[in-house]
Amino acid sequence: MSDQAISIRSMNKYYGGFHALKDIDLDVAHGEKVVICGPSGSGKSTLIRCINRLEEHQAGTIAVNGIPLDDNVDNIDEIRREAGMVFQNFNLFPHMTILENCTLAPRLVRKQTREEAEAIAMSYLERVKIPEQAHKYPGELSGGQQQRVAIARALCMAPEIMLFDEPTSALDPEMISEVLDVMVGLAEEGMTMVCVTHEMGFARQVADRVIFMADGEIIEQAPPGEFFDNPSSERTKTFLGQVLGH
Amino acid sequence: MTDLAIQSAPALSKIKKHYFATPLNSTITVLLAAFTAWVLWSLFNWAFLDAIWGYGKNEECRAHEHGACWSFVATRWRIVLFGLYPFEEQWRSALACIVMLIVAVLSCVPVFWSAKRLPLLWVVGFVTFYILMRGGFFGLTTVVERDWGGLSLTVFIFAAVCLLGMPLSILFALLRRSELPWIARTMALLIDVIRSLPLLSIMFTFAIVLPFVLPDWAIGDKLYRVIVGYAIFFACYQAEIIRGGMQAIPVGQEEAAKALGMGYWHRIGYIVLPQAFRNALPPTINQFVITFKETSLVTIIGFFDILASGRAAAGTADWSFATIEMYVFVGLLFFVFVFSLSRYGAYLERRMSVGSR
Amino acid sequence: MQSLIKSRRVREAGLQFAFVGGIAAMVIIMVLVGRANLEAQGMTSGLGFLERATGWRISFSLIDYSTNSTYARAILVGILNSLFLGAIALPIATIIGVAVGVMRTSGNGMAELVGTTFVELFRNAPLILQLLFWYTLLLGLPSPRNAEPVLGGIALTGRGIYIPGINVTGASVFVAVLIMVAAFALALWLGARRWPDIHLQRTSRERKLLWALAVLAAIIAMWIGRIPETQLVSVPEAAGLNYRGGIRISPELMACLIAIAIYGAAYIAEIVRAGFNAIPKGQSEAARALGLSPWYIFSRIRLPLAIRIVMPTLINQYVWLFKATTIGIAISFTDFFMVISTAINQSGQTLELIAILMGGFLIINYSMAWVLNRVNDAIKLKGTQLRI
Repeated sequence: MSDQAISIRSMNKYYGGFHALKDIDLDVAHGEKVVICGPSGSGKSTLIRCINRLEEHQAGTIAVNGIPLDDNVDNIDEIRREAGMVFQNFNLFPHMTILENCTLAPRLVRKQTREEAEAIAMSYLERVKIPEQAHKYPGELSGGQQQRVAIARALCMAPEIMLFDEPTSALDPEMISEVLDVMVGLAEEGMTMVCVTHEMGFARQVADRVIFMADGEIIEQAPPGEFFDNPSSERTKTFLGQVLGH
Repeated sequence: MTDLAIQSAPALSKIKKHYFATPLNSTITVLLAAFTAWVLWSLFNWAFLDAIWGYGKNEECRAHEHGACWSFVATRWRIVLFGLYPFEEQWRSALACIVMLIVAVLSCVPVFWSAKRLPLLWVVGFVTFYILMRGGFFGLTTVVERDWGGLSLTVFIFAAVCLLGMPLSILFALLRRSELPWIARTMALLIDVIRSLPLLSIMFTFAIVLPFVLPDWAIGDKLYRVIVGYAIFFACYQAEIIRGGMQAIPVGQEEAAKALGMGYWHRIGYIVLPQAFRNALPPTINQFVITFKETSLVTIIGFFDILASGRAAAGTADWSFATIEMYVFVGLLFFVFVFSLSRYGAYLERRMSVGSR
Repeated sequence: MQSLIKSRRVREAGLQFAFVGGIAAMVIIMVLVGRANLEAQGMTSGLGFLERATGWRISFSLIDYSTNSTYARAILVGILNSLFLGAIALPIATIIGVAVGVMRTSGNGMAELVGTTFVELFRNAPLILQLLFWYTLLLGLPSPRNAEPVLGGIALTGRGIYIPGINVTGASVFVAVLIMVAAFALALWLGARRWPDIHLQRTSRERKLLWALAVLAAIIAMWIGRIPETQLVSVPEAAGLNYRGGIRISPELMACLIAIAIYGAAYIAEIVRAGFNAIPKGQSEAARALGLSPWYIFSRIRLPLAIRIVMPTLINQYVWLFKATTIGIAISFTDFFMVISTAINQSGQTLELIAILMGGFLIINYSMAWVLNRVNDAIKLKGTQLRI
């Protein structure tokens, strides 16, 4: 256990010649909820995907729960067990039932027995309020239901940190709130969350800190009250004007 | 009155639309129908009306030239199907072929479509086939591979190639799409080179050339060398098919598996391969069909497969005029199997395109 | 050390090294064992044998060949034979295949029936079986003594098909064919480039001029290559047990041509059918709305689109069909493969000859694929915003 859940220092990432992330310094404390927002192409998804090594950073350090993120395969595996991820496109496994989706990784990676894994999975499915869908296939569920299953699937691995990569961007408007409700519930239970999203209402309600990124840099970070009502940078003001204007 | 007039008989209007829509269409229909009728009538005459049936009627057949001599089939079918297999043991050969047929039919039943059941089914079927053919166990007399022949040799080669080639093709496909550049490029080169070569030359090389360049312990029997060569060829084609199936899987699937902490083999075995195979099922069945047909090439290398045994059956002085009938008989055997399998593949394809959106 | 083993970079490097190294090791072992075996058998390795005389005959050859010719020449004859077979069988297969494919999508019930029967019949039997079948049929034709010529000069006999021929050297025929092919390519290229200037009358006149010039040049080439003291056209005439004059197409060559053309046509028909089915209905609807006649809709809209859609698959099919010409060995047609295998039997230089065989096929296949891919790139639908 270290004092910070996520600790990033001077992190730089390049895609070939393109400098995607520039000198990122970020700390996330245990139990803290951080929302990252910004225009498209700002590097917010790249940043969050670097944390669990779906993308590789070229310079700087990242540490999750004190474990350094480098080339050591054991470290990578452990970090992926500690951090759960929810994707924009849900990425549920279409050839398995909901229950199998949730129990696959606990059984293979955490070596749980089928009974243990299923019990834990059913409890999380009840948490996200769709226990009755356990034996259906992802294609038979609505988008909102699929995303809630994706959250339950990530939770079944008992992560300490949850990473959300634009979880509601692919949903029809009427389904966004059911997913956000689940995320708010998670936040209230004290989960450490890093969330990339455009949902400013959610940010205002739940976040401890809001971070604004543009062009691969962190422009501004502040608690939500200060961020929304009194942003200091011009870029932030322009962005907020565009997003909140409608 | 007008209501009744609009409703012409639906069957008649369909015929009109499909066959007689325009004057040009009507002419084509009539011409083709006449041509088809002529062909069918001549064939019918040759194959049924003027044909000679029954056992051992080669003298009659020779005298009666414009009819088919099905007596050839009645007399010589054993040689065609079983080759030089000893007469008393031919029931074993027949039984072995039936076993493989059952395996093939069961493979099409979705119940068996799991990573454990399908290989198990094939391994069990193949081992049973081998024991039946070879003997040496359970009180069956031993019959070495050299005396196998006819349909059972064809089936044996086909089953062995598939059994060996499928795991090999998965390995090739995984190597080909590896993230490690040297492995991916080398594999791509190997696969492309092997796919550019004619199958016959690969079989020939493995049969004739390989004994030169292999250490003595690795040489093995010519039959098994050819099977290995064919299996590698099969694996290269099948690897590309599987790779196509993998490319059709959304990128997010593997990312989700990675994010859940699943290791490489877990990801491949539980997430990537099941979906890849589902995507690649119709081309895979097509590949099996082609493989079965191309098995007949081994006759050129000197193996006594069904084509060679057919030619042997029609090769004696008694029956040398019946070569066409022999080809028709062997052709029918191939046709039945190949046609059913490709129909099944088409059915699968239709069913799968309905299911996906 | 521990951190080294666990490091992903080290693992990846190690895996790659092991893989490439393993393959290299296998190749090296095979080379060493091969060399040891050759020495034990007292045979020389290397390509010196190519200069030796073969001492065996080749039944069909486009260039001069005798038993005194070298191995190198024999191999050349084999390659030319394969290319010749491919150059004739593949276009015929394409024509028949496109015709059957069109029949299957024509909407005329009878045509579809005949087309489907053709495809199912010839796709579901092995090629070698079909080859042997046609060969047996051709051998069963009446002997030259009993055969009556049809159509004034074509004799179908069991010893070959005799057709009237022109007494010119093979080289001049080759040059004439080259001229025609070049004219065809030039016409296509000109057509593609000049489309923006829609002076249709002028371009069509230019094209006619081009074709006329090409035909004239071809005729002149063949006239120059005339064999002296013979008639221009030689018609096969019965002479005793045989036919004299004309060109004899041996049953082997004819069987290979028929079998490969028909088998290829069955596969090409399926590919073409898929191409036609992939054309969105809206294309025909738009063409009809513009008032185009059905023939124009077919020849200017649907057929070009279908070809562009299926070109990559067709290229694969052509490469595969060319490889299928090796089947000629089953009836002793002296194609590339047969020459190599005979050479192996006679000279024992197995490894070198197999290398030549594989190298030859690789070169031919890659060149063919490369040329066809250039054609594909030239004609494919351009742009990224297609709604088709």
